[in-house]
Amino acid sequence: MSFWLTVAGMVAVTFGSRYAGLVRRTELSDFWVRFLHFVPIAVFASLVTPYLAGGRGEAGIRVAAAVVAALAAWRTRQLWVAIAVGIAVFWLLRIPF
Amino acid sequence: MPAESTGAFRRGFWALAPLWLGVVPFAAAYAITARSAGLSLIETQALSVLVFAGSAQFSAVGLFAVGTAGAEIVLTTFLLNVRHLLYGVSLGREFELARRERPVAAFFLTDEAFGVAAASKERSFRFLLGVELSLFTMWNLATLGGFVLGSALPDPERLGVDLIFPLAFLALLVPLVRTRAELVVALGSGVAAYVLARSLPGGLPILVTGIGGSLLGAYLTRNSPPDRTVRPDDAAREVA
Repeated sequence: MSFWLTVAGMVAVTFGSRYAGLVRRTELSDFWVRFLHFVPIAVFASLVTPYLAGGRGEAGIRVAAAVVAALAAWRTRQLWVAIAVGIAVFWLLRIPF
Repeated sequence: MPAESTGAFRRGFWALAPLWLGVVPFAAAYAITARSAGLSLIETQALSVLVFAGSAQFSAVGLFAVGTAGAEIVLTTFLLNVRHLLYGVSLGREFELARRERPVAAFFLTDEAFGVAAASKERSFRFLLGVELSLFTMWNLATLGGFVLGSALPDPERLGVDLIFPLAFLALLVPLVRTRAELVVALGSGVAAYVLARSLPGGLPILVTGIGGSLLGAYLTRNSPPDRTVRPDDAAREVA
């Protein structure tokens, strides 16, 4: 039940943001425009670092894979390329030499 | 439906088609992550139908996996999707929408749809709806496909499926960082979230650093004019 309650909340805040902008007649203040510009940057960054290490003692190779994935994202700007490169590097580094 | 309306819808639908290539792997990665977080097919698909917001769905299933409280997931969703306000304001000025059309246009509004609609010359509701439903259709088909693919994987944990989550957000982040202030906010937020996650449970580190990092960014750029031009190409590239 708590899952569906959470989904209902997610729908409410997502639709609310989309609808409020569409019916709004006045401009947002300078501060909020600046603030909103940085929201995805701050949130995306905070969704990377806590989950990078993982729980199975593979922090080193996972971070190495992420560094290569970041380079791939920077060069290609393609999400799927970055994920594919990161996973491929992770698998490669896992092979015991 | 008159022929002209059908034509506008169809043109909108195909105008977004070039972005399918970016969306399909993201939706599939979301579904695989959702599955390994323990969500059922119905639950995974319900998020794609009802919430229809890539990064928010992705973060929610990641947070479900570590047992985060519902309220924190909802607040993180709000933080991630509040930027749609800007798209709405821009589209509301550009498109002549009847009162009853607005909730429909708002429900299916995404970064990609905004980017394509704002960049085009067409200004009808039918065209906008075509653009929006093009992404909705692909997003949901790819969610289903990804979930089925995920159940075919022999041992997702061993394959490193849980690495997809941080990699996806890293790949979303990198193209957004262009200025010095953006780099400072990205690095600062990353470090702060890592440190906070060691003491605070679940979604709190994300909320604290999300708000704190955005305040820092607003402060760092306080002397430059705010960028009100929402660039369509940026929004389309975000695939978030």
